[in-house]
Amino acid sequence: MITTIAWRNIWRNKTRSLVIMTSVALGLWAGAFIAALYWGMGQERMRIAIENEIAHLQIHAPDFTLEFARIPAIHNATQLTAQVAAMKEVKAVSARAIAMGMLATATGSAGIQINGIEPNAEAATSQLKSKLTEGTYFESKKTNTALIGAKLAKKLKLKLNSKVVLTFQDKEDNLVSAAFRIEGIYQSYNTALDERNIYVPITTLNNLLGLQQQAHEIAILLHSDELTPVVKATLAAQNQDLKVQDWKEISPETGLILSTMGQASMVFVVIILLALAFGIINTMLMAVLERTREIGVLMALGMNKLKLFAMILTETFMLVMVGCPFGLLLAWGVIQLLSEKGIDLTNIAGQTMQDFGFSNVIYPGLPANQYLQIVILVVITAIVSAFFPAIRALRLKPVEAIRG
Amino acid sequence: MDTVIDVHNISKVYNPDTIPVYAVNNVHLHVDRGEFTALVGPSGSGKTTLLNILGGLDHPTSGTVVINGIDITNLSSNKLIDFRLHNIGFVFQSFNLIPVLTARENVEFIMLLQNVPKKERNQRVIALLNEVGLSDKMDVRPAQLSGGQQQRVAVARALASKPQFILADEPTANLDSASAFNLLDIMAKLNREENMTFIFSTHDQRVIERARRVITLVDGSIASDTAQTKTD
Repeated sequence: MITTIAWRNIWRNKTRSLVIMTSVALGLWAGAFIAALYWGMGQERMRIAIENEIAHLQIHAPDFTLEFARIPAIHNATQLTAQVAAMKEVKAVSARAIAMGMLATATGSAGIQINGIEPNAEAATSQLKSKLTEGTYFESKKTNTALIGAKLAKKLKLKLNSKVVLTFQDKEDNLVSAAFRIEGIYQSYNTALDERNIYVPITTLNNLLGLQQQAHEIAILLHSDELTPVVKATLAAQNQDLKVQDWKEISPETGLILSTMGQASMVFVVIILLALAFGIINTMLMAVLERTREIGVLMALGMNKLKLFAMILTETFMLVMVGCPFGLLLAWGVIQLLSEKGIDLTNIAGQTMQDFGFSNVIYPGLPANQYLQIVILVVITAIVSAFFPAIRALRLKPVEAIRG
Repeated sequence: MDTVIDVHNISKVYNPDTIPVYAVNNVHLHVDRGEFTALVGPSGSGKTTLLNILGGLDHPTSGTVVINGIDITNLSSNKLIDFRLHNIGFVFQSFNLIPVLTARENVEFIMLLQNVPKKERNQRVIALLNEVGLSDKMDVRPAQLSGGQQQRVAVARALASKPQFILADEPTANLDSASAFNLLDIMAKLNREENMTFIFSTHDQRVIERARRVITLVDGSIASDTAQTKTD
């Protein structure tokens, strides 16, 4: 009967109830949409990190660090790369030779990371070929060609076929310089990386470094993210003298961005729910004050405080739960639509997004558990919001309430 | 006779620290089972306050109220609510039915609070609404009932909990003559046939004439307490 009374009470003032139900629906939609936007940005950043920069896993020598001028190498890199490529979980694998050095032109210079790559393997692992905006992708018959990032090219006023001199230390700590022609200019989603990285054929770089059949880094792209821990464990067990790391270990900042995005979206959701809570409190307080006499009668007749509390709580809960499905449906519809079309921020953000390693197009998305999380938060908001009006009702004295 | 209400020396004082106002002043009262008693007196004489105290809706400033052998004076508000549920029926001047419930649900509601089994509830609701002549209005909400019909539902509701007695505060005040007589007939019949105790405050001469005992309050005190031989 308490449920019946609560349900019918909701419809005593249809306009007011519909307004609050609409508020709940819009609040839920807004909360879910913001969460989806942040989740989409986080996922996009993660995808860029995995598919364009780091890959799922990387293998290095145990004392590998980019801080050394002479970076420790993996000695059996060619054999290991072939072994990894044969694993069914592996989509692509790329062995990279790395040297930290200096790029000099007639007009300027810059500190850079020189990446020696096997072009086809790298194209499959980090989609480097697809990022090319000018020139060709190692199609020249010359061996001393390089791909340079658009931002660095602009900074040093380099064009296709411009000549650059790369200087770095070989494995004997000798300073080595070599001239390269710019064969192509690329632009990735991360302008900071574009400014720092240039790509040359691995055979050319290894010859200059004095390495044979060696590499400094083996990047491994898997068929799915979920395979990462399993493949990592397998490779770590098979190569105990090497360091096998996943993308979160290699790029902790990406993991941090993901968790920060999650926290930021929750802050927005909480702000929205807080506003919603005040709406609910206002509505329910009005409902209680309007029904003072009725509540007094219920208490006079023998409805105890627990049941009265339950009635007001049920009423609030119902009010919110009617709006909830509409909000969820609206949120789901909009998110589904935009997850396919994407939101292009080029006109608003310009290059800013790419400066921070994000794509200009955001594809919002929200996993089912986050929808559930938001619904739970809305329900908690409803229950907490009902407390104040319910306590107000409990404090009424029947004799005064009946008198009105 | 079986005593239902035993009131000793009760007073209700408002503003005791400034200018004391005695709404009820040193009242002694015994009501036996089966009485049909009218509380009369001018406005402000303390009728409603006394009824509220008898009904456990208000606490006296001093004195004791014993209902059916239980001293309710110092019961906690939760225990009082439970006591009211099982011992006292109320009929209010403004009917005070729950507007979102039908006549049937309004009567059934009390029994639900008492956890009466569904089958017994249904039988009793039908019997009670039949008794007050509203068997054809069971599924109608209060707004669609006349004042007289609403008050009859209120009487059925008051009876639903099988109370020790029914307190009625000016039950006919908002009714036309025909409805008032009809209601009085029902109350008198219940009193006569089921030995239900009724105590009602009233200004209405028609009600006073039907009472078997008339207690007159003046300035919060009992000015007279007379038995009437001429009843319904």
